[in-house]
Amino acid sequence: MASAKKLVTDPFSDNNPITVQALGVCSALAVTVSLQPAIVMTLALTFVVTASNLIISLLRKVIPGGIRMIVEMAVIASLVIVTDQLLKAYLFDVSKQLSVFVGLIITNCIVMGRAEAFALQNPPKASLLDGLGNGVGYGIILISVAAVREFFGFGTLYGFKILPEAYMGNGLALLAPGAFIVLGLLIWIQRSFNKFVEE
Amino acid sequence: MREESKTIVFALGVCLICSILLSGLAAGLKSIQTANQEFDVKRNIVKAFGIDISTLTRDQIEDTYQVHIEEEIVSAPSGEMPIYMWKESDGTSPSKYAFPISGKGLWSMMYGYLSVESDLETVAGISFYKHGETPGLGAEIEKPWFLTQFTGKKLYENGAPTDFRVLKPGAELDESSVDGISGSTMTSKGVQALIQRDAAAYANYFNKIRGG
Repeated sequence: MASAKKLVTDPFSDNNPITVQALGVCSALAVTVSLQPAIVMTLALTFVVTASNLIISLLRKVIPGGIRMIVEMAVIASLVIVTDQLLKAYLFDVSKQLSVFVGLIITNCIVMGRAEAFALQNPPKASLLDGLGNGVGYGIILISVAAVREFFGFGTLYGFKILPEAYMGNGLALLAPGAFIVLGLLIWIQRSFNKFVEE
Repeated sequence: MREESKTIVFALGVCLICSILLSGLAAGLKSIQTANQEFDVKRNIVKAFGIDISTLTRDQIEDTYQVHIEEEIVSAPSGEMPIYMWKESDGTSPSKYAFPISGKGLWSMMYGYLSVESDLETVAGISFYKHGETPGLGAEIEKPWFLTQFTGKKLYENGAPTDFRVLKPGAELDESSVDGISGSTMTSKGVQALIQRDAAAYANYFNKIRGG
């Protein structure tokens, strides 16, 4: 089995869930208008994927094969609701901004994908690290896209003015097509560094 | 058969654990969440009265609401309509009135509050707290540059709503029109429509106060 360090760092770049596996793209477009929601989304997804990997790995020997995916779904859905409820209680403004996208973590292929592909076959500790790595790997891309979009769209970073007041803001960067372009460029840059070629 | 019953027991177990966990959590957090929602409404009413809330803490906003704002429900043919009155600390008659506004934007409903001065004609402030408009374009409706334009404009004249306009940016403005948002024609039109409609809905109420 791969070393602990490799488990965590592999999804950062060589096996990044977004840029290499092209999973979770929907939310990478939707919550990256500015840095703050992107960071909260990263934390929320990292929590969900880490915890679901751990729980499913712990249960991997007792989950009956026939209802394997439904059990995974129940675990993931419960964790997402927990996250959503906590955000609504303690980070109300951010949860308003993220609106439905926290709930939609349930449908994020990264979470289900890691449960199916990794947690079902591996011991809890390795699964936990794998979940953590994938959450952070997702977050790196999310935060990069958000930084570019917020910088060009509003001239700010994390709400702080970077460009002079006279900067008009680029509307395209704030719309979904702008997100597609930024994400596409990121995937291109990252794959050319990794020498990754789709078969 | 043994395999099947094991599956059923396992499924029931998972359901039971998940539902206990979630209902426990939901019940436990309910009071904090409700308080957040109530605060969000109060915060937007305070903002609609033209108060700059960006530097105020949560407690200060709660205090301001407590001290200055009184809610009243007026019954109208179309149903019950809430109205919020701003009272100065000395407790005399209200110096400003606010009412909820809502209407269609480009993507979904926009909700907010609008307040008028004691002359019952001039806009004192406006706020939007819930909408699904495009970030950077239609979502500018919650930005200060857009909202502050409304202050001082005429919403009613001689007891009737004025023909309030949200115009294309750069058009010549009069005392009851404001600049719209460039690139967001549908949102701007929506704001114009909801202000006209809700101003008309409250015209009777204000006329009654004026008369009595």
